[in-house]
Amino acid sequence: MDNSGKEKEAMQLMAEADKKVKASGSFLGGMFGGNHKVEDACEIYARAANMFKMAKNWSEAINCLNQAIDIYTDMGRFTIAAKHHITIAEIYESELVDIEKAIAHYEQAADYYKGEESNSSANKCLLKVGHYSAQLEQYQKAIEIYEQVAMSTMDNPLLKYNAKEYFFKASLCHFIVDELNAKLAIEKYEEMFPAFSDSRELKLLKKLLEAHEEQNSEAFTEAVKEFDSVSRLDQWLTTMLLRIKKTIQGDAGDLK
Amino acid sequence: MAYPTSHNPFADDDEEDFKPKRSGFEDESDSGMTDAERRQKYLQQEVMRTAHSAVDSSYRSLSLIYESEKIGVETAEELVRQGEVLKRTDKMLDNMDEDLKTSQRHINSIKSVWGGLVNYFKGKPETKPTPEEPKEYQANERLQTAMSGSRGHEDKYQASHPNLRKLDTGGFGAAASMDDGSSRQNGYPQNRYLRDAHQTLDSNLDEMSSGLARLKNLGLGLQGEIEDQDDSIGSLLNKVDKMDAKIINTNQQLKNLK
Repeated sequence: MDNSGKEKEAMQLMAEADKKVKASGSFLGGMFGGNHKVEDACEIYARAANMFKMAKNWSEAINCLNQAIDIYTDMGRFTIAAKHHITIAEIYESELVDIEKAIAHYEQAADYYKGEESNSSANKCLLKVGHYSAQLEQYQKAIEIYEQVAMSTMDNPLLKYNAKEYFFKASLCHFIVDELNAKLAIEKYEEMFPAFSDSRELKLLKKLLEAHEEQNSEAFTEAVKEFDSVSRLDQWLTTMLLRIKKTIQGDAGDLK
Repeated sequence: MAYPTSHNPFADDDEEDFKPKRSGFEDESDSGMTDAERRQKYLQQEVMRTAHSAVDSSYRSLSLIYESEKIGVETAEELVRQGEVLKRTDKMLDNMDEDLKTSQRHINSIKSVWGGLVNYFKGKPETKPTPEEPKEYQANERLQTAMSGSRGHEDKYQASHPNLRKLDTGGFGAAASMDDGSSRQNGYPQNRYLRDAHQTLDSNLDEMSSGLARLKNLGLGLQGEIEDQDDSIGSLLNKVDKMDAKIINTNQQLKNLK
């Protein structure tokens, strides 16, 4: 079958790359062509990883990519290393579904990008980290990330249209932790970023805060439905809103 | 069924419905009242229906606008990221240039002793000062001016809008009074619904206008950004070509050294 053919090729490439790396370790190799060998090795590792991906052998692919990343970081080429981290994180995200590891890789990639002054790429990775952290209930981390990204995009004339989205997400995370936090945070954001005040997201937040104070889960659902009718709520938002709603009903349960 | 001469085509349809019910009454005066009433009810229903469909359609348009804004925003982010990549490529090319110059020096010194001496006197090639701290990638400046300009326009638009609004309610105010005249009890609630419908419509239109303004600015910004990137791609192309020639040259020299 094609798959097993690819796997064999991939194995071959990996073996080749391993050899090159080992060869460069020897004294003579190190003196003359050591660097070339190692560079070639990385490339071969990357190709091998690609083949493994096509053959759907995810763990081997991740293995190769990790090797490649090590070599690239040694050489100081962090951008490519960051790209590989993202590839690995994507595999963990979709195929091997290990969110913790995915977060770790995305974080690493974001750090590398920051080091290389590619702030947009770094932000992209950070957003993913925030996304999954919030899903895993690591709200504090998610809040920090969203605030950070929002503040950095706030000033850029082209990116500021999305800043309100990030403030909204940060406010939602605050909300899940504690309602008072959310109120303070929203005031702070409004001050920092006046355009936030006009947004429909803010209006929704205020309605949700009210509903939460009155422990009125119907009003809550109503407000959410209204918002949804105009702009669809995605999976993440729905999950967060459901969690907030549970806290309302949870409190109501306590009162009884 | 032959009707007495009726001047109104509507009256025919209405009378057909009403005739069986109101059998005892006199035709003339009766058909006049039922005519008017029927027509009025019909018109009222029409008005409500159009108001509702207008409100619905405004909601739909609003959601479409927000969707486009979302897509535009994501495009913008992608563009900025691309811009950063281009900038970095540029920096890398400059680095490569530096390296090539250094290797050229080395080749010169290897080729001949005289060349080596010349190098010694020439001194180190001025290492190009690393371009000012790579600042936060600044997207187009023109966007800023476009934004402030459009804000001014938006104020003007707002000023004109309330005028339009007055016209609207004025027109419907007349219709409302007409309703009041004939059927007082039934007319009032419908006025309220109409008023609500119109208010929703107005607020939706406001939102739509601000949304469109944002979209316009976003579009202008995207356009400026794309133009900038076009230019950088062009200059990158040039640099890469020159680099290519230099590399081939250097390779030749290395081969000749043998």
